[in-house]
Amino acid sequence: MTTKARAHLRKAGMLASIAAAALIGLAPMAASSADAVKLNFWDMIWGPPEYIDAAKELVGEFNKQHPEIQVEYRSVPWNNWYQTFVTAISSGTAPDISTGAGYQAVQLYDQGAIRPIDDVIAELKADGELDDFLPNTVDTLRYDDHYVALPWGIDIRVWFYRKDLLEQAGVKVPTTWEELRAAAKATTKDGKYGIVASGDTGGSHFLYNAILNNGGGLFTADRKLDLKNDRNMEAFEALAAMVADGSVSPASTGYNSDDRRAAFNRGQAAFTLDGPGLIAQAGAEAKNIGVLPPLAGPHGDKATIFWVNNIMVYEQTKHPDEVKTFLKWWSKNQLPLWTKGNTGQLPTRKSIAADKAIKDDVARAYVLDNYVPIGKTTATNASGIFPALNDVEGEGAMQSFAQELWQGKPVGPIVDTAETRLKSILKE
Amino acid sequence: MAYPATSTARRWSLFWLLVAITLVVNLPIILMVMNSFQTTEQLVSRTSILPHDLTLANYRYLNDRTSFWQFLWNSFTVSGVSTVTSAAIAALAGYALSRFRGRLVTGYSRALFVVQMFPIILALIPLFILFRTLGLINSPLSVIILYTVVHLPFATWMARAFFDTIPRELEDAALVDGCSRFGAFVRIVLPLSGPGLAAIGIFSFLFSYNEFFVANVFLKDQSTMTLPVGITMFMQQYSTDWGSLMAAATLTVVPTFILFLGIQKWITYGAVSGGVKG
Amino acid sequence: MTVQPRLAGETGSWRASARSWYASGDALPFLLLAPSIVLMLAVIAYPMLTGFMYGFSTGTLLKPGKFVGLDNYLRLLQSPDFLHALWFSLLFAIFNVIGCYVLGLALALLMNQDVPFRGFFRVALLLPWIVPSIVSIVSWRWMMADQHALFNQIIGAFGGSPIYFLSDQNWAIAAVIVIKIWRSFPFMMLSLLAALQGIDRSLYEAAALDGASRWNQLRYVTMPQLRNISIVLCLLMTIWTVNDFDTPWLLTQGGPANATENLVLLAYRYTFGRNDVGLGSAVSFITLIILMALVVVMLRRQRER
Repeated sequence: MTTKARAHLRKAGMLASIAAAALIGLAPMAASSADAVKLNFWDMIWGPPEYIDAAKELVGEFNKQHPEIQVEYRSVPWNNWYQTFVTAISSGTAPDISTGAGYQAVQLYDQGAIRPIDDVIAELKADGELDDFLPNTVDTLRYDDHYVALPWGIDIRVWFYRKDLLEQAGVKVPTTWEELRAAAKATTKDGKYGIVASGDTGGSHFLYNAILNNGGGLFTADRKLDLKNDRNMEAFEALAAMVADGSVSPASTGYNSDDRRAAFNRGQAAFTLDGPGLIAQAGAEAKNIGVLPPLAGPHGDKATIFWVNNIMVYEQTKHPDEVKTFLKWWSKNQLPLWTKGNTGQLPTRKSIAADKAIKDDVARAYVLDNYVPIGKTTATNASGIFPALNDVEGEGAMQSFAQELWQGKPVGPIVDTAETRLKSILKE
Repeated sequence: MAYPATSTARRWSLFWLLVAITLVVNLPIILMVMNSFQTTEQLVSRTSILPHDLTLANYRYLNDRTSFWQFLWNSFTVSGVSTVTSAAIAALAGYALSRFRGRLVTGYSRALFVVQMFPIILALIPLFILFRTLGLINSPLSVIILYTVVHLPFATWMARAFFDTIPRELEDAALVDGCSRFGAFVRIVLPLSGPGLAAIGIFSFLFSYNEFFVANVFLKDQSTMTLPVGITMFMQQYSTDWGSLMAAATLTVVPTFILFLGIQKWITYGAVSGGVKG
Repeated sequence: MTVQPRLAGETGSWRASARSWYASGDALPFLLLAPSIVLMLAVIAYPMLTGFMYGFSTGTLLKPGKFVGLDNYLRLLQSPDFLHALWFSLLFAIFNVIGCYVLGLALALLMNQDVPFRGFFRVALLLPWIVPSIVSIVSWRWMMADQHALFNQIIGAFGGSPIYFLSDQNWAIAAVIVIKIWRSFPFMMLSLLAALQGIDRSLYEAAALDGASRWNQLRYVTMPQLRNISIVLCLLMTIWTVNDFDTPWLLTQGGPANATENLVLLAYRYTFGRNDVGLGSAVSFITLIILMALVVVMLRRQRER
C-alpha cells in the first residue's frame, strides 16, 4: 500500500473512531430524547410581550423537572384565532394542549375535538387540590356532564374612572346606574366625554355587562334566545339614554379597544369598561385611574360579565397521561405568568391569588375580592355554557348592536335586527 | 418617449408639483416611520400630531427580543423562491401562449382567468388537508407552492405579451439553421427577455412579500412565519404594541423600497406595457 | 404531420409514437404548459371542487353536515346581508377602478414629462402599493380614528366640526374606497406610464403638425392607443377589488354595522364566525360566477374593436 493510501486509511480510521465515540457518548442522550415524549402546547397571547418570555421560561422549568416529557411552546396570536385552531384540527395537526378564550373548549368539544378532563378533576379532588380553585370556576366549564377544560385565568369587565376628571367636575364616585349617568353627563365638557366605548368585541362587552348587571340574561333555561326580556330592554335603554345625553364619545362606534383605551388613558373620557389589566398597562397614567365599586342597577342587582378562560386537552393527543401531568403542573405553578409576564388575567387559584405580588396590585386585588364573586357568564339563565356562545359573541351581531347603539339609533329596531341575526346564528 | 424640449422653468415647476403630490400621497407612510421612533406608552398618551422625544427603543427591542430577523429571512426565502419558480413556469407557459394556437392553448388561456378570479378563502380547508397529507404543514414549501400558483396567471400574461413583442423572424431564422423549436426558445428568445422577466419577477416578489392571508393560515410556527404574520404577534387579545408594530412595519418596507429603487430603470416599455396588452 | 419511421432495434410502439408526437411539434406546447397545468389542477381545481360540494351542504369545518341541495343559495338570495354585500362589492369595485384609473393616468401623464429625478419619483409614488396592507391601513386608521386625529385637526383648522369617519356608515364606505384607490393607483400609474412610453412619437408629431392642441392630442392620439391596455388593466383591477379582503377588514372589519362588508368578508364571517361552511362556500361561488360574467362581457367588448 502506498504511503498516501496508508495516510488516507489512518485518517479514515481516526474519523471512524471519533464517530463511534461520539455515537456512544451521545447514546444515552439519544436514548433519553428518544424516550422523551414530545408535547405541543399552544398558548394565546395573554399579556404584553414579556408574557411570551415568561411563559417560555416556565415551560423550560417544566422540561428541566421532567426530562421524560418535553413540551414545545407556541404563541398563538389572537388575530383569526378560531381559524387557526379549526384548520389545525381538521387536518390532524392539533396541539396536545392549549389555552383559549372562555368558550373555546365547549365549542370545540361539541365538534369532537376536545378530550374531557373528568379524570384530571377527579385526581385533583383526591389530592385535595380542587379546593384551591376559586368557587364557581371549575363548574362553569362543565358541559354535557363532562368537564371540558380546566380554568386557568379569569377575564372580567369592570368600570374604571379617571380620578382627575371627576375631581375637576366636582363629582363623587358613582355607585348606582343613576349616579353613573349623572356623573357621565357632568364630565362631558371641553371636548371630553363622560364615557368612551368601542365598536369591536370589547364594545359588545358593555352590552353584556349592562344586561347582567340588571339581573337579565340572553337565554332561557333551555338555551333559547331571550333577548327582549324586561331586564335586558331596561339595560339597553339605560345605555341608550347615556348616548342621548351626549355623554358617550361619538368616535366610539369606529373605535377598537386599543383606541378606546388610548383615549381613556389620555384623559379624554371619564369612564370606560375594561378588563383588570387596564391600570397596569396605563404606564404613567395609572395613578389617575381607579376602579368603580360594583354598580347597583335600577332594581339593586350587582353583577358583571366574566369569562373563565380555558386550558384544554385535544382529542388528537397521543400522550394523554403526559398531557395530564403537564396540565396539573402548569395550573399549579403559574405564578410567574403574573410576576414576570404581567398577564392581564386574574388567577383562578387561591394560592396564586394570595401571593404578595397579586395582593400588592391594589386594583387587581379589589377586583378579585369584589367583582369575581358577582361575575356571570354570557350563558346566564341557561343551564351552563354551551358551544353556540362562541358564535354569539364572535360572529359580529353583538358588535354591530353596540355600534348602532353608540350611533344613537333607537333601541327598538336595533334589538329587532340583532334578534333576527342571533336566531339565525343559533339556528332557531 | 417624453414630450420633447421643455423649458427649464416648466421642468422645475413640474418637479415641485411632484414633490408636493408625493408628500401628500405618502403621508400615512411618513407618519408610520415617525411613529416608529416612539415607544408604545408615548404613542398611546400623545396628543400632538408630530412626535417628540424620539427614541430607538423599538428598533432595539425588535433586534434583541423578537424573531424579527427570522421573519425577514423567511419572507425573503419564500418570496424569492416562489418568484423564481413562478417566473420560470410563466415563461414556459407564456411562450406557449404566444407562439402556438389550438384548443389546448385557448383552453389554458381561459383557465388562467378562472384561477385569477378564484377567491382563495374557498380553498382554505381542502388545501390544508391536502398539504397535511403531503406533510407540508408549517413548511415554507406550502406557501411557496400557493404563491407560485396564485401569481401564475398574471405572470403568464405578462410573459406572453412580452414574447409577442419579440419578432418571430428571429426564431424562424434559427429553425432554418437546424435548431429545434425549444432550442430556439432557449437560445434566441430567453436571452432577449431580461427586462420582461425582471418585471415579472418584481411584481411576483412584491405580491408574495406583502401577502398576509395565506401566510397566516399555513405558517403558524414562529420559526417559519413571514413578516406580515409576524407583525400580528404584536397584537394581543384586546391591545396592541404600537411602537414595535410601527418599527417592524418600517423595517418591512425598507428592502422592497431599495429593491425598487435599484431596478426601476428596468421597468420600461418592453417589460410592463407589453405585459398588460393582454 | 409526418410519422417518424421506426428505427431498427426499438422495442415497444409507444416509444416510437411518443417520439413522432414530439417531432411533429404538437408536443411542445403541451410540455411547455404541463408544469403550470399540474400545479393548477392540484392547488386550484381540487379545492374548487370540494368547495363547490360544500356549498350544497350544511355543517361546520370539523363536522360535515347533511346535503341540502340549493337551500344555501336560495337563502342567500333572500338574505339582506348578502344583498348588501353584493351591492357594496359592486360599488367598491366601480368607484375604485374609476378612481385609481383616473389618478393613475393623470400621474402617468405627469411622469411622462421631462422632470428631474423622475426615477426617484417613480418609486416614491409606488410606496402605497409596496407597503403591506396591514401596515398602511393601520396608519390610515390613526389619521381618522377620532376627534383628535389628523384629519379632524385639519378640519378643525378650517373651522369645521369633527367627522367621525369610522363611526358613520357613509363616511366609512367613503374611507374604504379612498384607501383602496390610494393602494391601487401606483399599479395603474406604472403600467400606463410604461404604455405611454411605447406610443410612437411620430403620431404626436403628425398631430402637432395638423395643429392639434395638447388636449386634443391626449384625446385623439393617446387615449385610443391606450384603449386595449386600459381595458385589461381595469378588468384586472376589478377582479382584485372584488376579491379584496384586507382593505375593508383591516380598516373597519366590515363595520360599522356591516356597512363595509363585501362578499369576501361575508364569506369569511359565515365560515368562521357562524361556523357555517355551506353558506360561506355558496357566497364564494356566487362571487366567482359574477366575476366570470364580468370578464366574459369585457373581453367581448375588447374583441369587438
